[in-house]
Amino acid sequence: MAQETIYPGIPPSILRRMGKAVRMGIGAAIPIAQQNNVDGIIIGTANGGMEDCIKFLNQIKDYDEGMLTPGNFVQSTPNAIAAQIGLLHKNKGYNITHVHRGLAFENALLDAAMLLSENPHHQYLLGGVDEISDYNYNIDWLDGCFKKEKISNAELYNSNSDGTIAGEGAAMFLVNNNSVNAVAKINAVQTLHTTNEEDVRQALKQFLQQQLPAAQQTDLLLTGENGDARQSKCYIAAESLFDSHTTIARFKHLCGEFPTASAIALWLVCYLKKLPQHMIKRQGTASAVRHIIICNNYRGLQHGFMHITLEQGLHNSI
Amino acid sequence: MSRILVTGLGVISAIGNNAQENRKALVEKKCGISTLSLFNTRYSGLRPCGEIKTETGKLLSTLQAKEKGTTRSSALALHAFHEAVQDAGLTAKDIASSRTALVGGSTVGGMCLTDELYHDANKSENGSAYLSSYDCASVNLYLQKRYQMSGTINTINTACSSSANAIMYGARLIKNGFAKRVIAGGADSLAKFTINGFNALHILSPENCTPFDKDRKGLNLGEAAAFVVLEREEDVKGKKCYAALSGYGNSNDAFHASSLSEEGDGPFLCMQTALQVAGLDTAAISFINAHGTATENNDLAESRAMLRLFGTPPPFVSTKAFTGHTLGAAGAVEAVFSILNLNYQEIYPGIHFTHPIPETGLIPETHYRKTSLQHVMSNSFGFGGNCTSLIFSKV
Amino acid sequence: MEKEQLKQQLKEQIIQFLNLTNLTPNDIKDDEPLFGEGLGLDSIDSIELIVLLSREYGITIEDPKEGRKILVDINTMTDYIIGHRTK
Repeated sequence: MAQETIYPGIPPSILRRMGKAVRMGIGAAIPIAQQNNVDGIIIGTANGGMEDCIKFLNQIKDYDEGMLTPGNFVQSTPNAIAAQIGLLHKNKGYNITHVHRGLAFENALLDAAMLLSENPHHQYLLGGVDEISDYNYNIDWLDGCFKKEKISNAELYNSNSDGTIAGEGAAMFLVNNNSVNAVAKINAVQTLHTTNEEDVRQALKQFLQQQLPAAQQTDLLLTGENGDARQSKCYIAAESLFDSHTTIARFKHLCGEFPTASAIALWLVCYLKKLPQHMIKRQGTASAVRHIIICNNYRGLQHGFMHITLEQGLHNSI
Repeated sequence: MSRILVTGLGVISAIGNNAQENRKALVEKKCGISTLSLFNTRYSGLRPCGEIKTETGKLLSTLQAKEKGTTRSSALALHAFHEAVQDAGLTAKDIASSRTALVGGSTVGGMCLTDELYHDANKSENGSAYLSSYDCASVNLYLQKRYQMSGTINTINTACSSSANAIMYGARLIKNGFAKRVIAGGADSLAKFTINGFNALHILSPENCTPFDKDRKGLNLGEAAAFVVLEREEDVKGKKCYAALSGYGNSNDAFHASSLSEEGDGPFLCMQTALQVAGLDTAAISFINAHGTATENNDLAESRAMLRLFGTPPPFVSTKAFTGHTLGAAGAVEAVFSILNLNYQEIYPGIHFTHPIPETGLIPETHYRKTSLQHVMSNSFGFGGNCTSLIFSKV
Repeated sequence: MEKEQLKQQLKEQIIQFLNLTNLTPNDIKDDEPLFGEGLGLDSIDSIELIVLLSREYGITIEDPKEGRKILVDINTMTDYIIGHRTK
């Protein structure tokens, strides 16, 4: 569960109607939107305000389609996060919400890349947000997404059973073409739909060939491994492409699994000064981290790859 | 950069199961709004809707969609998608190519199954067959699987402008080299969820909706799916082309969660941006397929935005009086209608209009006529202030 | 029920219904406008308050425009409830 802050900067009169996803998204966006003039808002979220959606659904049932309060309905549309950020900052620019489940954030990132190529001097607010509500937790539970047994996050990767642990979060980025003071450079993003691990391996191999010329190597592979026995085959296939130079790390013991968790992965590589030991699966020989590949998949079907370079370099481990 | 052309159309709505049937109804002023008969809600007799009179089971069996957990929204999407790709002459290999993208908008997704969702979300039973079919993405994930698509697949939700943004995004994927061809559109089916939601906001009309009329009483909901096939001009030599997608604009009204600003800033800005992208003056627009939901707020704000931008607006109409407001599908449905306008060089009349709004005096077209059309604009605005305008041009 | 008691109860219901968590009943004055200046409620709130009147007091208001005449401040709401309540 995400620990919420006190959200300075959101008037209580607006905050009162927001569900958790909207609050988290706005809470993460405010520091960026207040300090920078952004030309548009691009959000990836699979579900947006799921909690409000089902609150309204329950009203329909409980009051047998009688007189219902519309507040939940208005907040239930997935675009409420991007819309509220726009509303709060009177931003009349480009405003969009990508909701393609496990690739919602990757598609938002691709949108940002296209916008920056179309408008080289603009800058955008880019983010990924999803919440755990009782309701999506229940649906995903029934669908077998989560482990039946109790498990601590430290033991996540030692588990051999089906399912993972639920998560939620919001990560926001300011993206532009200006490398001065940039934290990281996102070189490319690619997506794929397949349940076949060999397809994943081939696609990632091709992605690496396009992204990294022969002389350059991947210093860090950050994967979305999540302790679900059914999904490990895709990560094993991906890892097989990297030699002992590459450090392999994972992050879902920190934030759990959710459709836009890859936004958290991107935030981590931008934010961390060095990789903590608990993230490292296999220590590589690379002495500093410059080239990073993030490889994530959602429920074994939706795969996303990102190539990031750090100008400053990330120090490997301790 | 060569132009982006429309090479295939597919649509299913309350006024027809394909593009030709829809066109015929528009020409003949045949309204598709009726009393709900295919699903159970307290509002069946009270709030007329643009319902497609084919049961979900029948739709699924006709389409040979036997997969467990396939929803009505997915079935409607498949129906329109199939028509569009057939129309464009795409082979199974073309569709599955990694250079072919799918971008779809939806707002209801699988929530049309309101009762099943209620039970699953409250964990009251063992789980229905639809556990992974409720979200908006489920519609496009269904199409991806059915056609084994390997290119970029995306789902967009900007409420009632979702599929207009899907078409805009599709064009940008081609322009930026991320796809060679794109199948873009959207689908939504009627749901207890949306009927109760709009009713709670007091914006559902108890009668047939009357866009741009002084006495308008709100909107009628509808259901539909529509897709267009977009291809690069250099790839379609000798192929049938309906129109070019020449402009698009997306902006936010940044005023209120569920209503437009009085002067229609968002609508004004998205129309203006679309003109800039197309490199056109306001005078070049021959016709506008307006958003025109027939709510008090939308029609006034949209009229004011048109007056501000155009001075004297070109002929315009809202086809929602025929189909109802099909939410996430509306942008794509109306894009198809705008493309038909251009292709047949004809204007479809508005229906149920009597008196203009006193503040603006604007009068929509009310008679079918043949005329010369060069550029047609299609407007879509949604909750959260999400406004999008598309411009299609004669080829 | 005494009028003052009803006012207090109504304020509590409004705070709960509209999730005005930053307010207590004492913060809402009886003659303070609910909309625009004052509490700063908006059109969605006015519909929510109509639902409140229906669920808590059995009062049906069909036209939201009609509602705006009743939902001026706590005084007008209380008077209307006293004259029209069915539960």
